[in-house]
Amino acid sequence: MRTPFNHSIYVLLAAMFAASVFVVQPVVLADENAVEQGKKVAFDRRAGNCLSCHLMEDGEAPGNLGPPLVAMKARFPDRQKLRDMIWDITTSRPEAMMPPFGRHKVISEQDIDNIVEYLYTL
Amino acid sequence: MGVLLKYILISIVTTGMLLSTGLFADVSAAEDAEFATLLSEAKAAQKKANSVGGEWRDVGKFLKQAEQAAADGDFEKATKLAQKAKTQCELGYEQAVSQKGKAGHPSYLQ
Amino acid sequence: MKNALIATVLVLVCSLFVQPLSASPEDNVRLYQDYFKKRFPNIDFQEFANGVYAVNAQLRENWEAIEEFPPYEPFVERGESMWNTAFANGKSYADCFQNGPGSKHLYPQWSKEQGKVITLALAINQCREANGEKPLKYKKGPINDILAYMAYESRGQLTNVVIPADDPRALEAYKQGKEFYFTRRGQLNFSCSHCHFSSSGMNLRSDVLSPAVGQTTGWPVYRSKWGTVGTLHRRYTGCNKQVRAKPFPAQGEEYRNLEYFHTHMSNGVVLNGPSSRK
Repeated sequence: MRTPFNHSIYVLLAAMFAASVFVVQPVVLADENAVEQGKKVAFDRRAGNCLSCHLMEDGEAPGNLGPPLVAMKARFPDRQKLRDMIWDITTSRPEAMMPPFGRHKVISEQDIDNIVEYLYTL
Repeated sequence: MGVLLKYILISIVTTGMLLSTGLFADVSAAEDAEFATLLSEAKAAQKKANSVGGEWRDVGKFLKQAEQAAADGDFEKATKLAQKAKTQCELGYEQAVSQKGKAGHPSYLQ
Repeated sequence: MKNALIATVLVLVCSLFVQPLSASPEDNVRLYQDYFKKRFPNIDFQEFANGVYAVNAQLRENWEAIEEFPPYEPFVERGESMWNTAFANGKSYADCFQNGPGSKHLYPQWSKEQGKVITLALAINQCREANGEKPLKYKKGPINDILAYMAYESRGQLTNVVIPADDPRALEAYKQGKEFYFTRRGQLNFSCSHCHFSSSGMNLRSDVLSPAVGQTTGWPVYRSKWGTVGTLHRRYTGCNKQVRAKPFPAQGEEYRNLEYFHTHMSNGVVLNGPSSRK
């Protein structure tokens, strides 16, 4: 025979399970998503278009105006520094050519975060 | 009893509808005015940027699209576009003014 | 003695700062041309007239194939008949251009009377208007015919832009053009020099950026991307749009002053218009 007490335990368990599906899983997915989104923006001609100047893994017909984007984590251990360079390179290198993607709002702040995530996989 | 209840219900619903249309009209009028202000600010910013040769490529297009969206009643889209145009004009103005009289040879030519 | 020493040091220190500011157009030309000679040491100087095809062997091969049947030829032919056709008032282009159709090397020139830079395209329209003809549009259409013919007849002359010393406004126009050239513009924040000095010869995706010196010699240009011949100011418009800046009016003061500075940079390079580009 079921008591109301037992019943509420099932509800609680179900709720916890549901929570684990809806809360925990997306957190795990977020990183992969960021990398994927970052790559998309980096390759898209109408967005980051990093490929027009930088060689990046399997990107087709890359430009060579800028340095190849390889070993990014080793070359830029400070994540914030890397992000700052994308946001506005002219603060660290006043004559550099790269567009100030953040300062001039070429792409969104979220896009820049995602690109950093992606670059760290290179 | 049933008939009375029906009348009451109908009158509540009708009043509600009347009120809500009035409310919507108010909201839409407010949106309209708010957008008009933003649009004139954006156009002023465009004029200012243009006066120093600092206007960016898509500003004119954004403003046209914003006005079209407002005419279609899509104030969310209209506001977003007008705001984007305004911000770009402010950035373009800053960009031009910060270089006026200073732009010259890069270090590799000195 | 001590004063003399201080004075000497002061003069030296001042000259350090003053020299770059007072660099003459002639100093600049030397500076720019030396820069490209060093950047592309194996290229004959006159080859700069061929733009990217001077610095990229693979692109050059395709281009040479195209030049065997020049796509701008019909434009030159139409331009020749424009030159030979009288205006409604009986006069013709020959009455405006005393040196004949091969006058391109005289432009852009400073006009003391008008107090501005006169480009060849502007001179053509001033000629038309003085003779009661409608001016031609400055980017597309028949202006390219007459420009193509005049450029063709001017082949072999050397670029020789003069900044007359007797009118300070000429130097001012040159300086305006120079400032325009080195100013960052548009959402992408590029100046002309970002692409055509320090990145020249390099790849933007699969496009190759041309060196600044030699860019003005071949106009008007048949551009495959356009599918027709277009003017230098049409190209300026495209450049500005590419960096996401609002372009300036063709033959307006900004672009005319830019053309004055930009062409002066190629002084001594042979005129080879019309030409074809990708």
